[in-house]
Amino acid sequence: MAVVILVIALIAVSAYALIPKASAKLPVELWYNNSNHYGSTEVAVALALQNSIASCGKVQVTLKSDIWTAYKTRWVNQQMPLFLLGWYPDYFDTDDYISPFLAISGAKSEGSFYNNSQVDQWIRDEASTSDPTIRADRFAKVQAALAEDVPYIPLFTGAAQVAYVNGVQNVELHPVSYKWFIVNKPGATVLNASTSDHIISLDPASAYDFMSIEVINQVFDTLLVYDAKTTALLPGLATEVPTVANGGVSADGKNYTFHLRQGVTFSDGTAFNSTVVKRSIDRTMRLDLAGSAAFLLYDVGALRADHAKGNSAPGVITTPDPYNITFHLFSPVSFFNQLMAFSVSAPVPWTYSQIGEQPSTVGNVIGTGPYVLSTHTVDQLVVLNRNPTYYKPDLYAVDGISRVPQMDRVVINIKSTDAALKQDIETKAVDVAFRTISPVDLADLQGRQTSLGITVKLGSSPQIRFLVFNVNLIPDKRVRQAIAYSIDRSAINSLVFLGQVSPLYSMIPAELPYASPVFQSRYGDAQCASANALLSQVGYTIEVTRELVAVARDR
Amino acid sequence: MARDGSLLAYVLTRIVLAVPMLLILLTAVFVILRILPGDPVLALWGGRTPPQSAIDSARQQLGLDQPLIVQYFTYLRNIFTGNFGLSIGELYRGQSVWNQIAIRFPATVEIAIGGMTVACLVGIPLGVLAGSNRDKPVDLAVRLFGTIIWVIPIFWLGLVLQLVFGVWLQWLPANGRWSGADAPCSAPSSCLFRTGMYTVDSLIEGNLTHFVNAVAHLVLPSLTLGLVLSGFFAKTVRANMLRTISADFTEAARARGIPRRAIVYRHAFKNALVPVVTVLGLQFAILFAGAVLTEKTFSIEGIGILLLNSVTSKDMTMIQGVVVFYATIIVVISLVIDVLGAMIDPRIRL
Repeated sequence: MAVVILVIALIAVSAYALIPKASAKLPVELWYNNSNHYGSTEVAVALALQNSIASCGKVQVTLKSDIWTAYKTRWVNQQMPLFLLGWYPDYFDTDDYISPFLAISGAKSEGSFYNNSQVDQWIRDEASTSDPTIRADRFAKVQAALAEDVPYIPLFTGAAQVAYVNGVQNVELHPVSYKWFIVNKPGATVLNASTSDHIISLDPASAYDFMSIEVINQVFDTLLVYDAKTTALLPGLATEVPTVANGGVSADGKNYTFHLRQGVTFSDGTAFNSTVVKRSIDRTMRLDLAGSAAFLLYDVGALRADHAKGNSAPGVITTPDPYNITFHLFSPVSFFNQLMAFSVSAPVPWTYSQIGEQPSTVGNVIGTGPYVLSTHTVDQLVVLNRNPTYYKPDLYAVDGISRVPQMDRVVINIKSTDAALKQDIETKAVDVAFRTISPVDLADLQGRQTSLGITVKLGSSPQIRFLVFNVNLIPDKRVRQAIAYSIDRSAINSLVFLGQVSPLYSMIPAELPYASPVFQSRYGDAQCASANALLSQVGYTIEVTRELVAVARDR
Repeated sequence: MARDGSLLAYVLTRIVLAVPMLLILLTAVFVILRILPGDPVLALWGGRTPPQSAIDSARQQLGLDQPLIVQYFTYLRNIFTGNFGLSIGELYRGQSVWNQIAIRFPATVEIAIGGMTVACLVGIPLGVLAGSNRDKPVDLAVRLFGTIIWVIPIFWLGLVLQLVFGVWLQWLPANGRWSGADAPCSAPSSCLFRTGMYTVDSLIEGNLTHFVNAVAHLVLPSLTLGLVLSGFFAKTVRANMLRTISADFTEAARARGIPRRAIVYRHAFKNALVPVVTVLGLQFAILFAGAVLTEKTFSIEGIGILLLNSVTSKDMTMIQGVVVFYATIIVVISLVIDVLGAMIDPRIRL
């Protein structure tokens, strides 16, 4: 009898344990990077997200963090179900906010492992045509799929920021690149500046970080350049922007011809011509330096059929004469012009090292740009002097900028901390403090602009921040949708950034063509009732819970 | 003659013992860095992950495609031939490890010397004063100062000094090592040789304005570092003063009618200083390895920040290089201190 009672009791207890408990909270791990890869606000962003998701009452969010190297390894190894990430575009085209995330290969590399062949096809369509109607249609469809499947949750776009002493002119927070060479300080020949960014390499074949590219943009030129204030492309080392209409782009979108300026020389006096451009592009692709953006040429730019490193195959880059060059792509790339405006495509002189990275030291950094590098003390100081042979001083005359560069010399002090940047502008030890003052310090400076005699300027930044779901670890899209409902972007903005960032409702920022705020219309912000209704449908099934527990145990 | 031979044997023994110590350290660093999670190669591209071919190519370029045992022996061979290799981290990628250390070491040496100078000038006199006035108000005051200043977070003290003297009063530069574009000896022809220490270089080029610029930048970090250390120094000197003041030889001197002042400064202080020198020497060696918080607070790109940045980006070659450099400094300075001690006190060699 006792045995029977014991067996019945055991069965009852087991059955009770197996019944899904609708009232239990869904456990979710939210990861963030703790080595300041995205600045010192990251933990605060994670806390605000934790609070906004958990405050709906049905999800228990556990915060986890790691240093950047381990963080990236974790997402590649699928050890993070939900994590914070950021993106800064390589080429300023809508595609650069879509294909790296939602194409199958891109989604794998970004850690979401989203795999939708229909979306993949739409992305191939938009990337291979410059027809705005087709592109609009495909981007609309892709964004609708993004909102339905939620492999990512867009959060906010960063704010570009600069503080400068009153009287300094032409401080433009350009969406793509900050142009030191248009900044003017009337009555002075030297402009002093501070930044807390670091320079990693001044070789265009190697640089792939913000500050290195910033300095490269002052010393080198590209075939096409951006307008002083907008993202419109202008002729740089080329004489016109190739289009189908002017015959620069073939009808199938696979051939791009650039007519080059004549009489241009590098700052060391050597000649610029089509052979130099071809050699520079081939050098970048062949060296494929660790951490470089070379893959944007041979893979994204379709300059190699196998998308592997190496020189271009014969006939892919042709130079019929010294001032014409044609790129024959293996597949149409609608944003190839933007790639030719990116620093990785900057021509370098014949003398540049063909077997490795060119040193980033004075005398070894040679371009055709408005400035020449005259001092580079690693992580301390960069001094740029006017390039007396710069080919186009009237580059931005239409924007009212009489000559380029404006100042004879720009001195950029590199600081270790954001606080040092604030001190420098507060004491007017420098004329301009650019990237990156912390939100609290920025608000403080904004409040004291008049008494300090400075101007604090905020602008839109192309950087986006978002949450990534590993769809293999959180496979039920209703869970992802529920979390999308619970996100409160205004709380992040007000609590962490003191109102200095803008909410983001698509992976495509509002300033870019084809952007549609699909998350705003579909999920809004802090919609707890909708989030909880979805989670109730899910019922917190054993399957979902087990999946998440298994992730926790594996680590 | 016998004594000289004995000292030489002692020095040789210490040098020989340093080799296995370094080898153990190198092996430990190599193993620990490989055990820790994280792939520095994947991190090189920031948020973007390039095609696998680019990642494989990077591993090959950085020598990380080799088996671990091959990497280990290559690493040892390189270290013992003075080749510290190239950085593999995202911040210093492709740059010579030795160059990075060489560029930053002078900044660290400058603040180490500045800090030690302040610490000695403040800490030692206070320690003597306290030790020679045991349990009097001045002793209590020094002990209180020593405790408080020693426990103050160094970055907080630095921030306060920056705020008061750098931002509010604007008497001194709040951060950095230099103001302007023309650092001392930056023009190749301006100096016979260059040390990288701006104070020394400005003297070499004979430019007083540059010297003032360099020293002005050094004052606040030196004060920050020195004041914190002075608390420790004051307490150490005081303890040794008390020990020597109550020693038999001091009693004997007092019995012979030698004035108190002479006893304190000629006998007690000198004897108290012997163990203090050992502590100071080791402290100096530690500072040479970088005062991370001070360097960070004052935006001084020294060895401390280099190591900090390398650790957060898992820059294995850079960490290895800095640790070897650090260990070598500690070994050499320890050796010098031991040898000096052995010369002063032969009992040590027994």
